[in-house]
Order: sequence, then C-alpha cells, then structure tokens
Amino acid sequence: MRLTDWMGSWLRGIFQRSRVQSEMETELEFHVETRAEELMRDGVPRAEALRRARLEFGGMEGTKEECLEARGASVVDNFVQDLRYGVRTMRRAPGFTAMAVLALALGIGANTAIFSVVNAVLLRPLPYDQPDRLVQLWHVPPQTNFPGMTEFPVSPANFLDWRSQAKSFEGMAAYGRGGYTLTGNGNPETIRMIAVTNGMFSILHARPLLGRTFVSGEDEPGREHEVVLSYAVWRSRFGSNSEIVGKNITLNGQAFTVVGVMGRDFDFPISTDPSLQAQMWKPLAWTDQERAVRDNHNYAAIARLKPGVSVKQAQSEMDAISNRLAQAYPADDKGWGATAVPLRDDLVGDVRPALLILLGAVVLVLLIACANVANLVLVKALTRRKEQAVRIALGATRRRLLQQALSETLLLACAGGLLGLVFAHYGVILIVKFLAQRLPRSGEIGLDGWVLAFTAVISLAAGFGAGLLPAFRAAKADVNEALKQGLGRATSDAGGSRTRDLLVVSEVALSLMLLIGAGLLIRSLWMLHQVNPGFEAAHLVTMGISVPSTKFSEPGQQIGYFERVLERVRSLPGVQAAGLIDSLPLTDSGSIQPIAVEGRPAVPMVDMPEVDVRMISPGYLSAMHVPLLEGRDIEDSDVAGRPGAVLISAAMAKLFWPGEDAIGKQLTLYFFPDQPRVVVGVVGDVKLFAVNETQPKATLYFPLRQFTIPRGESFHSFGMNLAVRTHLPPASMAATAGLAIHEVDPEIPVQNVRTMDDMIAQSLSPERFTMLLLGAFAGLALLLAVVGIYSVTSYSVSRRTNEMGIRVALGASRMDVLMLVVRHGMLLALIGSAIGIAGALLLSRVMRSQLFGVQPTDPATFVAGACGLIVVVLTACYIPARRAMRVDPVVALRYE
Amino acid sequence: MAKPMELLQGTLDMLILKATSLGPLHGYGILLRIGQISKERLEIQQGSLYPALYRLEHQGWITSEWGESENKRKAKYYRLTAAGKRRLQSETEKWNRMAELIAGILHTKPEEV
Repeated sequence: MRLTDWMGSWLRGIFQRSRVQSEMETELEFHVETRAEELMRDGVPRAEALRRARLEFGGMEGTKEECLEARGASVVDNFVQDLRYGVRTMRRAPGFTAMAVLALALGIGANTAIFSVVNAVLLRPLPYDQPDRLVQLWHVPPQTNFPGMTEFPVSPANFLDWRSQAKSFEGMAAYGRGGYTLTGNGNPETIRMIAVTNGMFSILHARPLLGRTFVSGEDEPGREHEVVLSYAVWRSRFGSNSEIVGKNITLNGQAFTVVGVMGRDFDFPISTDPSLQAQMWKPLAWTDQERAVRDNHNYAAIARLKPGVSVKQAQSEMDAISNRLAQAYPADDKGWGATAVPLRDDLVGDVRPALLILLGAVVLVLLIACANVANLVLVKALTRRKEQAVRIALGATRRRLLQQALSETLLLACAGGLLGLVFAHYGVILIVKFLAQRLPRSGEIGLDGWVLAFTAVISLAAGFGAGLLPAFRAAKADVNEALKQGLGRATSDAGGSRTRDLLVVSEVALSLMLLIGAGLLIRSLWMLHQVNPGFEAAHLVTMGISVPSTKFSEPGQQIGYFERVLERVRSLPGVQAAGLIDSLPLTDSGSIQPIAVEGRPAVPMVDMPEVDVRMISPGYLSAMHVPLLEGRDIEDSDVAGRPGAVLISAAMAKLFWPGEDAIGKQLTLYFFPDQPRVVVGVVGDVKLFAVNETQPKATLYFPLRQFTIPRGESFHSFGMNLAVRTHLPPASMAATAGLAIHEVDPEIPVQNVRTMDDMIAQSLSPERFTMLLLGAFAGLALLLAVVGIYSVTSYSVSRRTNEMGIRVALGASRMDVLMLVVRHGMLLALIGSAIGIAGALLLSRVMRSQLFGVQPTDPATFVAGACGLIVVVLTACYIPARRAMRVDPVVALRYE
Repeated sequence: MAKPMELLQGTLDMLILKATSLGPLHGYGILLRIGQISKERLEIQQGSLYPALYRLEHQGWITSEWGESENKRKAKYYRLTAAGKRRLQSETEKWNRMAELIAGILHTKPEEV
C-alpha cells in the first residue's frame, strides 16, 4: 500500500467515520438485495426473499463492528479514548497537572527561547542569494609582529592582485567604512557610508528597489559622486520619495547623485546592532597613487565562490597567491598570508560557543523537568496499580496500557509546550533587550515557523521522555502481586522506589552541572570587573566629534578647530579635565603601525615591530587618569616644528628597552618617515580593545599638534573623541559639552555620547548576558530539582508512616526516625553530586573559551556548587522528615 | 450433490484472493465465484466474508472501488493488487506443501511407521 493510500485510509478513519459506515451499509445492503433478487427469480415473494437473505447473511451489526475493526479504525478510536481518559485524569488531579505542566512549560519555554536565538543567529541563511558561497577575505599578518591576530584588513594593491590572480571566485570586492555628513533639509547628520569597489552588489546578487546600483567605471576617481540609499535612510530622511533617483544630495559639502535605493531587507555589511546598519553606499574610487599602496591595510574584502569550488580550494589558491606576492614584494608582503572565511563563520564565530553552551544548558533543564514529571507520574501510577492490574486481568493488552500511559504524558507535554511558547515569547523579548548590541542579526530573533516546529518536536520528545519509564513500569505491573494486596495502599514497592531514586540522583547531577557552569561564569565576570582598565572610568563622559573628511583643507585648520573645542569645553563649569584621542579605549578601532627605533639596524617594513598608535591632545592623560610613570606629559609646546614628542606605555618600554631608561630614546613611525620622535614619558598600560585582554599592548601616543600627513596620502580632515572628567551628573555634562562643540562649529555633529562606565558595561555585555542566562537556567534547574526531591521524599515518608509508627512503638527515638529519612536523601544527594561533578568537569572544558581568570576546574566553584546543592537537598528532605518524626505510633498503626 | 463442507479455519482469505485474481468482483460476486469453482461443495458464512474483505484491503492485498453491478445497482468491486498476487502465490505454495505433508502422514500405513 502506498503511503498516501495508508494516510487516506487513516484520515478517513478519523474524520469520516460516518461516511465509512454508510458506505459499508450500502455495500452490505447491496449484498442482501442481490441475494433476495436471486431468490425472487425462483419465485419467492419479495418480502419473504429479503427475510431469507438477511437470515442467510447472519448478524448484520456484528459484521459491521468486525469490519470497522478489521480496517484499522480502532487504532484511532483507542487514541481518542486515551486522550479523553487523559483529560479526565488531569482534571481529577489539578495539583499534579499544574505541577507537571509548569515544569514542562519552563523547560520547553527555555529551550524555545534559546533555540529562537540560535535559529536567527546561527541557522537562518544570511539575507543574500546563496549566502553559503560568500566568503570574507582577510590578510593573516606575520605572527611575530601581530601575535594572535588572524584577520587583518587588506591594502589596495594587494587586493587588486588578489582579484586579478584568483580563479576560485565569481567576483571579489573591497569596501571601507567612512563617516559622511549629510546637510541640507534638516540638521546635519552623520551618515554611515560604505565605499565599495565595483561589483560588490553583483557579488551579493543584490538588486535595488529603485534605480540601479553602481556600474563599471564609477569606481574611477572623479566619477564616484554617486550614492545608493538604504531603505531606512530613504524612509527617514527622504520620506520614501520615489522621485529621489537622479536627485542630488549634499554629503561633506559635495554634491552626490542618488542612483538607487535598496530594499528593506538589504544590509551590508551585516551589523551586529540594527542601529549601526550601513545607510548609504558609494563607489570606492582609488587614485592611481592609492592603488599602488601595498603597505597600508585598511579595507575589508568579500568574494563569491565559483560553482563547484570549495572554501578549501579557494584557501589554497589564496595561499599560493600570497606566496607569489611575498616573493614579488618582500618589503611589504613577506610573511603576510590570506584567509577565506565563510561569511557566516566570520559573522557569528565569536558568539557560537556561548550560544551552544546555552543550548546545552536548556537541554539539561528540560531533562530535569522530564525527570520531575516522570517522578510525579510514577508516584501517581502507584495509586493506580490496582486499577491497572484489574484491567490486565480483564484482557487489556500491555501494549494498550503502555499507549495509555504515554498518551497521558504526551498530553501534559502538549499543554506544557503551549504554555512554554508563552514563556518563550516573553523570554525572547527579554533576551533581545539584554543582548545589548552584541549579537549579530539580533533584529531577526523571533518565534517563526522553524521555532514552532522545534517546540512541537521537543514537546513530543519531552512527553515520550517523561512517559516512557512510568509507561513501562505500568505495563510490567505484576498482576498477581497487585491483586493480592488489599484495597489499601501498596506496602512493598522496591522496583518503584529504585526508579524514583534514580530520577532523584539524575536531577541532582544535572542541576549541579548547571550550577557549576553558572558559578564559573559568575566568577569570571567578577574577575573581569576587577580588572583595572588602566584609567579611571567613573565620572568620565566621552563623545565623538565627527569632522567631515573635506571640512578642512590643511592640518593647521584642523588642529585649530580642536583647540577651540578644548578651550571652550574646559571653560565649562564642572569640567575638571578634558582631552582628545583619535580612538577611545575599549572600542574596536585604532591604528597599528610599524616603527623604526633609532640605533637599531634598518629592516624592511615587514620586519619592523608593530605598535598601537594613538593621537592625543594635552590633558587626555589627566582626564582619563592614566598614570604618568616616568618623564613628562605632552605639552602645548609640543607643536609642529619642535622635536616630535611621544609617550609610550609601560608594556612598550619593557618590550623595547628592558632594564633601560626609555626616556630620550628616538624612533620614527613608518608612515611618517620625516618626523623623528623622542620618548618623553612612560605611561600606564591601558586596555585598548577589550577588558579581557591578557597581554598589555605596546602603545605609543603622539600629540595632535604634531600631526603630519602620512606618507603618500593627501590630507583628509578627521574626527577625534573627547573625554571629559567631571563631578557633575554625566547626562547634564554631556548635554552642555555637546552644545559647546556645536557653538564652535554648527556643521560638525557630535555622536556616541556615553559615560566610560557604560562603555565598560557594554564591552562586558556578552559575558554578562551569557552569565545571566546560564545563572537563570541553573536557578530554574535547582528549583525543579528541589520540587522533585521534595515530592519524592514526602511521598515515601507518607507511604512509610506505618513503618515509622512501628519503629517508634518499638522504641526508636524521634531523632532515629528523622535520620532514617534524611540519611537516604543525603545518600542520593551525594551520589548525584559525584556524578554531577564528573559531568561538570566535562562541561567546563567546553566552556574554557568563555572564562576569564578562572580555571575550568576551579575548586572553589566546584565545592561551593556541590555544598550549596547538598544543603538545598537536605532542606528538601528535612521538611517531610520532620513530619515523619512527629508520627503518632497509635495513629500510624491504625493507618492501614 | 454431497452436503457442503464447512470452511477450514484461515482458508477464507486464500479463497478470496483466488476469486479476485480472476477479475474484479463485488462481495456477493466473490461468494458466487467461490461457490461456482468449488461446485457448491463449500459453505461460507456470508457475514464472515466482509470482515475478511476489509482486513485484506487494509493489508493492501486487495483494493476496492465503486461501480455499477449487472442489476444496475451501486456496488463495491474488489480487485487483487500486485502485493495480493504475490501473497496468493506464496499462500498457495504453503498450502500445497502442508496438504501434501498432512496427506502423507494420513496415508501412512501401520507397517511403515
């Protein structure tokens, strides 16, 4: 029989029972009529013929029943019957039902919520055509100068060589970010602009909503004054004007023609934070001079693999090209490799381990919930042992009993799944809120069809999981034993209590694993908070001053502008100190440059040591409270024309001049070869990119007033970040400072106004997020386990009331009785803890990458987790045990 | 004509498969066909035919569809499926082997034991 036929027959069985019945009646009627007609042909009158035909046929109703059963409709009938039975028993025991449904709902809800995050972030395809063919291309810098760094931007000349030589790709494109200021109709606004080389849109297979994207030739200098708008900016800034294509807009004071508008779903590059999405795209037009730059790495690149080419093949081709480039341009490319990373991995590689740990955690929670429900069902089944035995005796098959027991937990799980969806809905809202802006694609998180399907599947799995053990026990029931016992309660139930003990032990073990996991994350977050970032975050307000790149035409104007800003800000009431820096600590940006140290042998650029370079104004150190360890701070007198003055971090002093006095040493920055510089001071190490940096970075600070144009480049004006130390409330300080900057030049926007405390909190938000969730799940697991252990203990105490009474009557002290109950509970807790510790050792190994300053085997966390759990289990046993202790022997003996 | 014999337990299914193997038939037609082939020497409880038909259909050995009978009535016709054909063949072989075996046993004379 084909599957469709079988399904058809089954469905008819459920929905069209009446039709099946009427068809059957027609068929049987036809039989009788035809037989009667035959008899009539022999001369029998019709009435008599019909009577005889029916007699010959035999019992019509019995036949019908047999027919219905024969066609398999009974399976459906049984199922419906079981469901009705299940609903009845659930109604009869509302407390049990509420408990079981709640436990399952919490487990399923947690799973659904985490799965919807995993689904949106890790599973759902990226919003491009055939996204798994897209790869991100990075340089791999020489590990001697960039230890641990595996993804580095590419220089224009190297990118062009990659593009012309690689055969693995349909297309390759480079892009860079830039801030542009949009003026005209309304306030000046900083636009997040992405400059893309030719072919970017076709590599993505992206089509515009209106107009067109860029065409060949528009990435030539002079022809690049065109933009494509994002849907969001088209709506917010241009009122969804469909006539916008072909119009001019003003960016950085220059006219740009709008050539197209992208659709609502288009986002490139994909941003972690929906509020940081790219707003416009313009052609990336390198001048001939820029195209020749091989040693300055500032661009990201993506490519689409040709059909049939694997990432691995592309990688080996990129390796070969890198080797050729290293041989052809040893001064710039020696030691520089290249890597092709699937776009999705590039995007979510960082968050994948955390999400998988959370997914593992919620699975554990669900297991505990299942164990809990299995326990409840087992206890309840015991009171129905007799009923089951009677049913077996009356001919119910064991299979039928098994089915019935399972359909009960399945029903519970379905109810739990529905309630779990409600929990998950709110859980997802919370997660998205707490996530801050750290999870890629967080805007897409929600309950969609896949999530609903997942919920349905795990609900069924939970129903089976919770029901299987009780169901087999129900079906295995020993009829004779059960029937022999009186109508009273069962007195011996060795097998059942072993099963319950097993469930308790597993609940203890599973929740201990989660507790220890959460404990490790809490410890590690605490360690992160203890880290000294190298500056004092309290009472610090920071903001970005984004100067359009064409605002000033020469460095002097630029420097003058910032001096006016500083002067204006410092005169504000409440400002203790204020200073400027190009890239604030704990942000992603900042430049790394090769340097040459005076008196050491000259080496080609690739062999030069690399240090992090920051440009600051006087006052920055005192605003940030970065300590000056030796020498002097930079001063207003360190201006162009005077000897270049630089500050270096303690780590840099130790790395370059170990055991020597660094003050007075001379060096040059590779990109500014004509400017010799002298170390005038050594300052404390600062965490540049993240709080969890373990190695302090060698950092060099040079004064803004000694800014010169980098070799081979033309002047673009640039933005700086302002740091203000104040004893006023940060919000009001931010507002007045913003106003003051606006007064200096109304066309220059201020952005990203934040306190340094917020920045630290935000840089720790992924860690905090994982910790909070895992902590919540561990708490949930503990709660479920305690409820389970409590209910099992109080059940067994109430069953042993009689025994306790006898013990007391025979002279056992109340303490003995108490200990009897507690000792058993403790034994289970200890066994469970031992297993849990073993499990946690495995789990924490997976968590290593998420930990900071804590060993995965941190003994304190393990001991604290186990002790805490044992105390809680003890309490859960103690309460019912006290009841047992108070048993009145007379009452207990009459109990039977 | 000898008195009709009662059907041996479990053989009805085989007879139905055989009857339908000669062409589609309705329930009553199957009875007539079996009667005709057996020269009216077999007696089949009419009521027991239908549960057997439903069971065989559920197992996929026969399939049914509605049609018009010789007496211009709506009737349900049963037809042997490919699976039913194979089943009939294997059942026939099994039956023959069994019959031979039983016959052999029953024909055994005392001196042969």
